[in-house]
Amino acid sequence: MFTNLACIFRGLMAIIVLAAITVPDRGWAQTAISQAAKTQAAGHEGQFDRSIRPLLKAKCGRCHNATARKGGLDLTSLDGLRRGGESGEPAVDQSLDESLLWIMVDGGDMPPEDSEPLTQAERVLLEKWIASGSAQRELEHVVVTQHDVLPHLYARCVVCHGKRRREADLDLRTVESIRAGGKSGPAVVPGQPADSLLLKRLHAKEMPPPRELIKAGVRPLDASEIETITEWIAQGARKFDIEPDVPTGEPDPLVSEEDRQFWSFQPPVKPPVPQTAQSADLNEIDQFLLRKLKAEQLSFSPLADRRTLIRRVAYDLTGLPPDWRDVKRFRDSQDADWYARMVNHYLDSPRYGEHWGRHWLDLSGYADSEGKRSADPVRQHAWRYRDYVIRAFNSDRPFDRFLVEQIAGDELFDFENAETITPEMMDSLVATGYLRMAPDGTGSDIVDTVEERFEVVADEIEILGSSVMGLTLRCAQCHSHKYDPIPQRDYYRLVAVFQGAYDVYDWLKPTSVAGQSKQSNPTRRYLARVTPAARREWELQREKIEHQVAAVEQRLDDRRKSLRDAFITAQLASLPQELHADLRAMLAAPVEQRTDIQTYLAEKFEKRLTITDAELAKRHPELKQLQKTTQAEVKRLRAEIPPEPLIRALWDRGDPSPTWVFRRGQFTTPGQLVGPGVPSVLTDGRTPFQPQSIRGDSTGRRLAFARWLTNPNHPLTARVLVNRVWYHHFGRGIVESLANFGRTGTPPTHPELLDWLAVSFVEEGWSLKWLHREILMSRAYRQSSQLTDELAHRDPDNRLLSRMRLYRLNAESVRDSLLAVAGKLDLRPFGPPDPVVVRADGLVTSQPGTDGWRRTVYVQQRRKEIPTILETFDLPQMMPNCVRRPNSTVAPQALLLLNNGLVRELSLSMAQRIQREVAADREEQVRSIFAIALSRHPDETELAWAVESLTELTEKWREQESDAAGDVDQDQAIAPETRALANLCHVILNSAEFLFVD
Amino acid sequence: MQSSRRSFIGSVSHGLQGAALATLFGQDLYGPDRLQAADGHTSRPAQAYDLRPKPTHFPPRAKAVIQLMMQGGPSQVDLFDPKPELDRNHGKSVLKEIAKDLSSPDAAGGLMRSPFQFAQHGQSGIWVSELLPHLSQHVDDIAVVRSMFNTHQNHEPACYKIQSGKTMPGLPALGAWVSYGLGSENANLPAYVVLTSTEGRLPTNHVQNWQSGYLPPLYQGTPMRSRGTPILNLKPEDEQPSEIERMSRDLLARLDRVHRQKRPGRLELDARIASYELAARMQLSASQALDLQNETQATLSGYGIGEKVTDEFGRQCLLARRLVESGVRFVQVHPVGQQWDNHSNIGSSLPSICRKTDKPVAGLLADLKQRGLMDDVLVVWGGEFGRLPIAQAKPGSDPKKAGRDHGPAGFTVWFAGAGIKPGTVYGATDEIGWRAVENRVSVADWHATILHLLGLHNEELFFETHGFKERLTGVEKVRIVSEICS
Repeated sequence: MFTNLACIFRGLMAIIVLAAITVPDRGWAQTAISQAAKTQAAGHEGQFDRSIRPLLKAKCGRCHNATARKGGLDLTSLDGLRRGGESGEPAVDQSLDESLLWIMVDGGDMPPEDSEPLTQAERVLLEKWIASGSAQRELEHVVVTQHDVLPHLYARCVVCHGKRRREADLDLRTVESIRAGGKSGPAVVPGQPADSLLLKRLHAKEMPPPRELIKAGVRPLDASEIETITEWIAQGARKFDIEPDVPTGEPDPLVSEEDRQFWSFQPPVKPPVPQTAQSADLNEIDQFLLRKLKAEQLSFSPLADRRTLIRRVAYDLTGLPPDWRDVKRFRDSQDADWYARMVNHYLDSPRYGEHWGRHWLDLSGYADSEGKRSADPVRQHAWRYRDYVIRAFNSDRPFDRFLVEQIAGDELFDFENAETITPEMMDSLVATGYLRMAPDGTGSDIVDTVEERFEVVADEIEILGSSVMGLTLRCAQCHSHKYDPIPQRDYYRLVAVFQGAYDVYDWLKPTSVAGQSKQSNPTRRYLARVTPAARREWELQREKIEHQVAAVEQRLDDRRKSLRDAFITAQLASLPQELHADLRAMLAAPVEQRTDIQTYLAEKFEKRLTITDAELAKRHPELKQLQKTTQAEVKRLRAEIPPEPLIRALWDRGDPSPTWVFRRGQFTTPGQLVGPGVPSVLTDGRTPFQPQSIRGDSTGRRLAFARWLTNPNHPLTARVLVNRVWYHHFGRGIVESLANFGRTGTPPTHPELLDWLAVSFVEEGWSLKWLHREILMSRAYRQSSQLTDELAHRDPDNRLLSRMRLYRLNAESVRDSLLAVAGKLDLRPFGPPDPVVVRADGLVTSQPGTDGWRRTVYVQQRRKEIPTILETFDLPQMMPNCVRRPNSTVAPQALLLLNNGLVRELSLSMAQRIQREVAADREEQVRSIFAIALSRHPDETELAWAVESLTELTEKWREQESDAAGDVDQDQAIAPETRALANLCHVILNSAEFLFVD
Repeated sequence: MQSSRRSFIGSVSHGLQGAALATLFGQDLYGPDRLQAADGHTSRPAQAYDLRPKPTHFPPRAKAVIQLMMQGGPSQVDLFDPKPELDRNHGKSVLKEIAKDLSSPDAAGGLMRSPFQFAQHGQSGIWVSELLPHLSQHVDDIAVVRSMFNTHQNHEPACYKIQSGKTMPGLPALGAWVSYGLGSENANLPAYVVLTSTEGRLPTNHVQNWQSGYLPPLYQGTPMRSRGTPILNLKPEDEQPSEIERMSRDLLARLDRVHRQKRPGRLELDARIASYELAARMQLSASQALDLQNETQATLSGYGIGEKVTDEFGRQCLLARRLVESGVRFVQVHPVGQQWDNHSNIGSSLPSICRKTDKPVAGLLADLKQRGLMDDVLVVWGGEFGRLPIAQAKPGSDPKKAGRDHGPAGFTVWFAGAGIKPGTVYGATDEIGWRAVENRVSVADWHATILHLLGLHNEELFFETHGFKERLTGVEKVRIVSEICS
């Protein structure tokens, strides 16, 4: 360490001259100039300036200059060489073998093929400069700016010496405040590292205080970080005038016009609809599809039958089997428009939002728990966001509005100063739950450092990128995207967009992990800004329950009172009759209000006439029992009081910390200072990003981002969305890589159709229900799913949509359908989720209410405990979200449906339902089972088989019953007929037809 | 009912459903894509992943792995890594140096000597403390690595790292990679089995210890328990007479056949029918593999089965042997809870977990050796990290009740069995046993070495997702620890 310092001191004389000057500087572009100034001041011009810089500028400078900085690398300054690029390794280091620049040049990797290579002479020159040690000597003298130092101070110190806390009056966030110092004096003495208090404390390892590290969420500085600070102080602890790198009116040097030509980065243009075939039965979608089919001498498959269509549409829109009455109604309808009416029927169903909202909840990574930690703490109020999504789908909220609310709902209104919170405001705040869904372990102090916080931010950006933008943004977290034109700094500009709300240096903790946090404050991510109505409703509920509590307690009091009276009467019996009235009056009077006579009476008789509650209970077991049940009842009632209504929201807290690029994605290797912006390739590259705030000190950055994202001309937003809706209806996307519209994604099978849908969708006011109708009314959607040899051969992957898909129900639909046909589905919507329990044998299951089980979307969604039935049928863990459900067919599914107790129980419920609804006639029962579960009647063979089985099964159960005669057990109370019918229901619930939709 | 149920269970052998057997037929059911559609139609399979045996990248040394996962962090300086310096400097404060590794800084004490005696054992003279008397007799069969390190000082991230190479959830576990790379040698059992405790308490990180991440779910670990029902839903919760089961399944098979016949060329429906058949076969195979009734008393006692303290973990270890014998590729064994997490009272809490596991582990090694399975099976033992050489105790508390905090910077793991050079000690920590300093072995090195012994190259074992080749060892530079390989 000290040899190093000695080196630095040697060069000090020259630097001190500059120390007092604030060097005007636009980005790092100017550091090379100041370097030149410095070396000149030292009286010599280095070899770098004489020969190396001109060489590198000529051969590498087109991409790796101070402004373009491809790969984060500037090779035209010593400073740039020392810092290196996104890898965080210096371009030139101690030896040739360690110098990335030389490795790339020597290996022929750089300059790239289309550029002029280095001449032999140039290679020798470069080699010598590095190998001889000249490079090292020159590199020792590069300038250290405050932005080499501040990121480390932010990560390690400002939690206690910054905005919210200012221990010892010290603020380490700016050069000025560092110089000003705190109680003990200035933190630094420019040019005098050895005398600087900051370094003394660091060297002594007193700071950050070893015993406070975990609580503060920081770790000690690395030796290299202390070295950088030392150099900065040695050079005078100067402040350079460095502005954040943000998009400007100048063309973006890293993203070319050519890059922007890729199809998905161009705004969609509505193509003309081809007139492929004339038929009233075909809509625009069909015309596009038919063109491709015809080119392959194919056409649509025949229309599916009505029963198939009804089942298809019902499942597709609501995730539930159609009610048999609806099946009959639509099947037998004489109306020519029966199909359109059916589609509308299911689109209008409240079940639609539950099913389609769930698709969106997958994308947002909805969970009722924080994840990451084994404790997986529950997120108390997350469900409001779930309800918001379901309501938004049901009311067909324009999708642009839906996105803006979710991304920047807190910036739409000045909710902090609003006199009343309107439902609209509350909705907007609840909507921001979208950006609060990532798994987050930082509720535990031990994993609450910049590193883990940044994981949360990165997950939110991943959620946003994969759900809405169709870009694999995460790649650019560590280095510029290898395939798409997304430089690393674009990623960090997005980080800056969120910095007002997600500041890794000024963190709001999520739900604390019990016993793992000293800063437990469970409401930190909650806002109490709910509507007066919501608050009143809660208060009413609370009061109602408190009334019930009072009533229950009154019952106990009354009983106690009458027993006590009886006791007193009994005791009085042994005392003279004439005293009775006076004694009773004495007992009734409060001690301090008693007359002298009463006090006298009390002294003499009170003890004999009083009895404690405990003693009373001892004497009267029934009272003891009543006390017990009352306590239990009060506890049960109070548990029903819902928690105070809070909103689990994301909001801009103003005055965000600076944003630095993290080279290699690590906060320990900070790079350039950046400001907010959007990926340049999705813009014209010359439009500044200009946030405007409408609320206090909020930055307005996310609102500007959301407005940009929902601009009608945005190249990706509408395309990504319509593609996703298409995928859910047809089982494959027009772009199969649903979350990747970049170069490594799959190209669209029908690019014009995609654009027609995207543009029309926006024109129709971003209406999802319009989109559903358009798709569902198409001939393509109404075709049969029959696979013929020809189709299997000519259109094996169904890329051309020559048929409909056949698919297995997803996890929710499996569970909800089982409940629905058994008559055990409780359709009560919304509100706190139903709890999930883990049985002793490891089975995870939700808890039923009094009216059965609610739909799966209302079951608590924890990350660690997914109900077994759902997990078995591929319900994913949200890590951080799910852009596509896996769809497996594995033996545990069979084992579950065959052996699981709940499935058996539901079969029995279904049997009892059948017995209630139809006569005891076996044929009728079989028909009814088929109708309820499969939306059709059995054919003759099926009917014969089923009736035969039912007869045999009943017979077997009768035998069993007589074998077991004498055993008294509740199970035996179930009649053999019912058991046999339950077996038949169980078979149908296990059948392929129940699980697969044509 | 009780009596009739008992008599019913007695009527079928070992709880096996006659009805399940009835549907068996001898088809190869590794995975759906192997199937030709029953009606002769073919179309491209939806996915091409299965559990059939796969060729290795080079000749393997081991065919199967038993991972003894000692969650919590076994204390290296009290078990395998004696440090005389700790005796000499007992009580000395090193707080400032060690601060960054501390989970509970307010309870950090000075250096703490081991309360346990060490001795050299076997031909190899490997040092082991008095806490592991049974393992001490097998030191000539194991290779001890004293220079492992992890990158996080807390359980969850460190366990994720050990299982999947990164400190975050959501990525495929080592066992998933192995079953993806090698497939299974038994069509009726999962390739990757996890043995958890019978209490139903799952280890830290729960099912994420054996998840398949971005690999197809086919490769995720199947948890089994060493007592009671080994696999969820393997048997009906309410058993019904076998005749009734048979009739029901017969009707189901007929209805499904009709459904299938009306939908030619649909492989997904064949796959589904196959999954019902495999389910039936699993009921048979799993019941057999997990049935300890045919083991000799000598074997059972070798594992400590029947003794109160060792019974549970003994059963898990014996099951692990039975499973690898049956062709399971990767068995991950978790003793209950985090008993190696000896934050306090290490003088009694560490001996306690050692007593529970020492004999079963030694019994496993002896049993594998006696059956010649040491040539095929690799056994790996270790936690997610070790422990710090300093005392952990709240200020003012009884120093005798001190424990040790998590120590990720250096800890001990060991290997045994196929491909391992027995009786080896590799790597070293510093003089106080805090940091690995000599021949450091990263988690990625450890992964790569295990893959290497299985005949898999860590670079060549990848999975393409979103256009990227993902690997267990990520982009880290790794080194096979060839010094411990034979």
